[in-house]
This record gives sequence, C-alpha cells and structure tokens, in this order.
Amino acid sequence: MNEQELIQSVIGKLVEQGVLQSAPSARDRGAAPVASTGSGFSSGDPVTLPPLDEVKVDSPKNMAALEAMRKTTPARILMGRCGARQKTHSFLHFQADHAAAVDAVFLDVSDACLAENGLFGVQTVVKDKDEYLMKPELGKRLSEDAKKMISERCEKGVQVQIIVVDGLSSTAIEANIGDTVPALIQGLKAEGLSVGTPFFVKYGRVGVMDEVGAILGCDVVVELVGERPGLITAESMSAYMVYKAGEKTVEADRTIISNIHKGGTPPAEAGAHMATVVKQMLAHKASGVALSESMKA
Amino acid sequence: MSESSTISSLYAAHLSGAAESSAAEVVTSVGIDIGTTTTQCVVSRLTVKNTAPGTLVPRMEITDKEVVYRSGIHFTPITGDNLVDTDSVFRLINGEFTKAGISPSDIDTGAVIITGETAKKENARRISGEMASYAGDFVVATAGGKLESVIAGRGSGASDYSRRHFLTVANIDIGGGTANIGIYRSGKAIDSCCINVGGRLLRVDPVEGRVVQVSEPMARVLDDLGLSLSPGDRVDPSLLEILCRRMAEVVSNALKQNHLTGLEDALMMTTPLRLDYEVDCVMISGGVADHAYTTAPCDTLDEIARYGDIGPLLGRQVRQVFRDNGMEMIRPAETIRATVIGAGAQTVDVSGSTIVVSDERLPMKNVPVVIPFGEGIPNTPEEMAEAVGRSVSSLYEAMDLEPLAIGIQGGGYLSYKKVQGLARGLLSGLAPLIRAGLPVVVVLEQDSGKVLGQSLRALNPGAQVICVDQIEVSEGDYIDIGRSMAGGTVVPVVIKTLVFETRQS
Repeated sequence: MNEQELIQSVIGKLVEQGVLQSAPSARDRGAAPVASTGSGFSSGDPVTLPPLDEVKVDSPKNMAALEAMRKTTPARILMGRCGARQKTHSFLHFQADHAAAVDAVFLDVSDACLAENGLFGVQTVVKDKDEYLMKPELGKRLSEDAKKMISERCEKGVQVQIIVVDGLSSTAIEANIGDTVPALIQGLKAEGLSVGTPFFVKYGRVGVMDEVGAILGCDVVVELVGERPGLITAESMSAYMVYKAGEKTVEADRTIISNIHKGGTPPAEAGAHMATVVKQMLAHKASGVALSESMKA
Repeated sequence: MSESSTISSLYAAHLSGAAESSAAEVVTSVGIDIGTTTTQCVVSRLTVKNTAPGTLVPRMEITDKEVVYRSGIHFTPITGDNLVDTDSVFRLINGEFTKAGISPSDIDTGAVIITGETAKKENARRISGEMASYAGDFVVATAGGKLESVIAGRGSGASDYSRRHFLTVANIDIGGGTANIGIYRSGKAIDSCCINVGGRLLRVDPVEGRVVQVSEPMARVLDDLGLSLSPGDRVDPSLLEILCRRMAEVVSNALKQNHLTGLEDALMMTTPLRLDYEVDCVMISGGVADHAYTTAPCDTLDEIARYGDIGPLLGRQVRQVFRDNGMEMIRPAETIRATVIGAGAQTVDVSGSTIVVSDERLPMKNVPVVIPFGEGIPNTPEEMAEAVGRSVSSLYEAMDLEPLAIGIQGGGYLSYKKVQGLARGLLSGLAPLIRAGLPVVVVLEQDSGKVLGQSLRALNPGAQVICVDQIEVSEGDYIDIGRSMAGGTVVPVVIKTLVFETRQS
C-alpha cells in the first residue's frame, strides 16, 4: 500500500464513521472546510466537518447540563478526549480553524469584493505581505500614489469619511463590509450628515486613518479594519472612529467597536449603531477618552 | 425617568472603553397581587446596567432584583358578586406604601395581577382606572390559572433553580383555593396547569372542633372517599389527614398522568400537563408551603386548624406524598409571596440597547402581538407583505383598528439586504395602519432593531417607528412598552404571555 492509498483508506474510514462528511456543503454555521491535500482524494473537492457545537464527552452524568453549557460559549469546551489526546473531530477542526486564520492574514481582499462594494483601492508604502507583517509602522503611511488618488477622488471637508482597511484579516473585510458599510451610510444620512466617497487601503494598520484625516480635512474618520484572527472566527472586524484625525492623534482619541461578525455584533446592526456614535462625536467635538469625559460633564 | 444623569454617565463610561461600567440605573417596581383570599404588595428595586465590555455595543440588562418591602398579607376586600372592593383595596395599598416609605411618584413601573376568583374583566377595568393616578406605567392583568402558575414559579425561584442546576423543576404554588403547577426548564416555563386543591377549601373551628364551611371542591373529595361532612359536624385529626392525603395525591398524580379520570379529572381546572418531559424535582410555594418544609408539630386539632382551615396539614401531607414517591423537594426562595414577587420583579424586562423609538408615541399599553412569519422570514418583500397583511386582517376581524406589534422570532442572522427587504415588506403589509396614523411597532428577537428601525424610517420618513430588539414574543402576547431610558438606548418592556391561557378549556 503506498502513501496515497493509505490516506484514501483513512479518509474513507472517517467518512464511514461520520467524523467527516464526504459531500461538500456550504460553509454553514461552524462547519470549517478542509482543503484536500492534493494527494489524490478522489474528487479533489473540499470535505466538510460536522459543526463543533456538539458535546463529545463520553457517557456524561447530565447531558442536558453539558449541552446548556456548550451553548453559552463558542470556545472549545466539552470536546471529550481519547486517552490523553484530542478526539479526531476536534483535532481536525483545530487544524481547519488554524488554516482559516492563516489564510485570513495572508490572502488579499479580492478585486471582486471591492467592485461589489463600490470601493476604489489604494496602498500604503508597504510593498508586500512579508514587509507588512514585519514592519508595522509602514502600514500607517500612505504611498505617494495613494495620497494623490485620494486627493483627486474624494471630496474634502465632509463630516464623515469611511475607509476600509485589510489589517490582519482580509476574510473579515470580505465577510462584513457588504452589510456594515451600507447600514452605516444609511444611518449617517438619516442623521443628516455628509458622507465622503469610501475607499479601501491595502496593507493598512489602524493608524493609517490619521493620514486620511489630515489629507481630507474631514470631521470624523470611520475605519473598518480586519482584526487579528483567532480560532473561534477569522471574520471579526473592528471599527475605529476618530474626531479630527491627524498627526496629533493618539491612541486615546480612538473610539472602538470590536467583534463585528456574524457570531458577535451583527455587521448590519453595528453599522447602524456606529452612526449614533458618530453623531455623539460630532455633538461633543471629541472622540475616545475625551468623548466620554465630555459626556460625563 | 428618561435621560437621567446616572444613565448618560453610564453611556459615557461605556464609550470610554472601561472594562466594566459600575454605573447603573435603579427602577422601582411594585407588584400587587389581588387574589381570591389575600391581597399583598411588594416593592422591588431593579438595577439596569450595561453588561457589555467597553469595546462592544452596549447591552443593558436587569442585573439585580431586590425586594425592598414586603407588605402584610391582607384578606381581599370583596363586595357582593365577587367584585373587588376597589376603594378598600387602595386604602390598604396606600397604607402599605406609607409604611414602606415610598410615595406613588417614586414608582417607575409595576404590575397588578388579579388572580383566582377575582380575575374578572370588570375588576381589572376598575382597578386599571384607579392605577392611573400613580406615576409609573402599570400593567394590570387578570391571570387565569395557567399564567398565575408561571408567575408563581418565577417568584418562588423555581425558574432560576432550573437554569442554574440544569434540571426540570415543577413549581407547585398551593394557596387557599388552588394549586398552580408551573414546569420550568432552563429558566423558561414550558408547561403549566391549575388544580382546585387548596388549604382553605375546608374551614374548621379549632376550639369547637367542628366544620365551619365545606367548599364545593371539598365536597367532591369527600364524595370520592365515600365520606360526607356538613357545617357543624365534628372532625378529628385522623379524618382530616385522610382528606389532605387524598388532595396531596391529586396534586402528585397531576405530575404523573395526562389522562385523568375520577377526582383528578374533576379537580383539574385547566388542560392537564403534557408530561412530554421528565420532572427532576419539585418546589412548593404558596401559603401552604411553609408547612411542607417545616417539621413543626401538626398533630392536634389546635395545631392543624390554627388558621381556621386545614392548610398546615395539607402542607405536611404534600411532603409525605412526594417523599413516598421518591421525588426530591427543593426549598423555594419565596413561599407565600411567590406570586406577588413574580408579578412585581419578574414581569419587567428591558429591550436590547440598539433600538429606534419615536418617544412621543410611548408609553404604549396592551399592544397585541402578531407573528406573521411563523415559518421563518420569506424571501421576497412581496411575500412578507402578504404574510403581514394576512396576520393584520385576521386580528382586525376581532378588534378595531388599534396599534399592533409585529413580532419576529428566531435568532438567525439578518444581512443588510435582508433587513432592507424586511423593511419594505413590513411597510407595504402595514400600509393600512400607517394611513390611519398608527405607528409601526416591531419587536425582534435578533439584535437588529436599530438597522431595521433606521431602514423603516429611511423608506417612509413620515411613519412613526418603534423597533425594539432582543425580546422574545409569541403569537397572542400583549406587550407594554415604556418610555425610553438610558438616553434613549433601552425601553422597559412587559410581556403578558397569554399563550398559556388560550389552551384553557
């Protein structure tokens, strides 16, 4: 038996035991797709793991209690074990989720996604992914081309400028902006605020919003950025909001809403809520710690 | 109560990104229970607090419920025809407020539950009128047997116990005239029934050792045992023990069988329990409960009939029967006051904190809820509008054009596109109401109230929109929505679940 045959027979056995589902299905809740190893797994289609939300403890005393506890958290609890090791099911999930996290960092936001959401793209001074990951400071500076394109294509002095930044998860951007951006714009317009042309920044870090604010002279910059992925989700996005962002902006000036994803703060609802927060920022002419201080007064 | 200073600082603390805010708003809630035998009231303080970490969207929740005053237990003043003597009741309640050191203007919210024989529409109407002079937004509800069972189990702590211990708990609230059984799992009422068994169905004079009054259900119990008793007859403890034993068995059997016969069937006042679940333990509340958990002597006629009835002995027999059946009995947090505490502290909830409300329309009271999308939200706005139109017209067959609330169940994810479609579907389905000047009221379970509310307003700037989220409702519920608190971020909501009542025969 050669290596490929061995792999085939193990996969066959796992499918038989229900640990793997052979038929590819949609990325429904929690089911992580596992890419084929290219080792000849017959169709080459990805396999789909059953969701991780099941209690896998063997012969529990009170199954109902464990099920209730399992529902309280997406964390990997009550996975059961085989001797001192993880069960195959949870081990495969772990690897799949880890792979998804790696993909989130290393993949780029697709042109199709930008086109669908009507965003034009610019880049920071970073040249490639390696440089982006190794020199975080560079992710805060726009390239000369970027500055030029922003100046040409965006209206200056608007009240709110929205930017979308890949950050550490392109997956998060692809998963959420289609819901968050239009909800945010609808909310801002309902408050009677002027909104500039949104655009996308590749290889960007949070601080890039300060340069955008300085160039466009807008009142508030709202930055939607991909969060560092974890093993629960690679789709989590944050919104950073700063009043009069510019050179003098410090971290304490940033108001943030985090954990925007389907399993956290719903992306559309987050957009609607952000509009309210932006309105508060304009009313108090402040953001971050200064905003909460002035709201207390 | 809206825009209080504590709450805006709460919101500010939230925006600053503090790990956990310590600011809170305190709501004073009053519960009044006007029952067949007794009238009681309690004053509770509900603490509303933001429980989300600073970087998340705020989540306002009732974090603490503290009963700060318990009234005495008064006999309910009744005039002829089972009508409550409203004047006497309110003299009594005002007296209790004075003792508690609160004035009616301190009260933010509350509920009056009219239970048992007094649960008549006429009583509710008169009491509602009287409550109008109080500052807060009150709910006045007549509770049939099933709803009372649910409220008692919340007040006794059975609901909480089931959630904390992952057990199915039967709360049995045994009062003077009825035993109300509520079944709880994961904190939720899943079933209920009401049985005509209670401690005051036989009145006994302890000094003379004679029967004072035999109620109609007691006559059935006697008949079942082949006995008979009339006022003036002598009784002894052993005879009373036989009666109480039989009544306790009726209660116990209600937890075992759903096809009832004989006495069990005759005394069941509602549909029996479904029993498609297994009960892990029982909790006894109500006036009789104290005697089910104590070992105080209850052997002589003096001890049994110390209140002029047979309640203490019934309590003891209930314990005996459940012990013989090997059923575990859990001690409740509240006994005789379970129902009134359930009414005062447990009926009020707060909505999610991302909502859209037209405050000028609030408060709204007794708004009927319809659930147009029982099978899930349809795909197109046209189908949604049709489903909404159907629910609306079937409701208006039964009532005049009055405000109604669209309830949307389920916690599934709503994309922006879906929300937009939903807003269009709702507006078109509700077009006749909007034309009549009625507000668009939507109660969602999903945390999507703000985006849906904004979408509704964007599509129809003229319509008044009240869109609240993170509230679970069912077809046939009535809701009260209070004026917004916490700087417009949440509204207090009272859900009057009548689902349990509609199955009543």
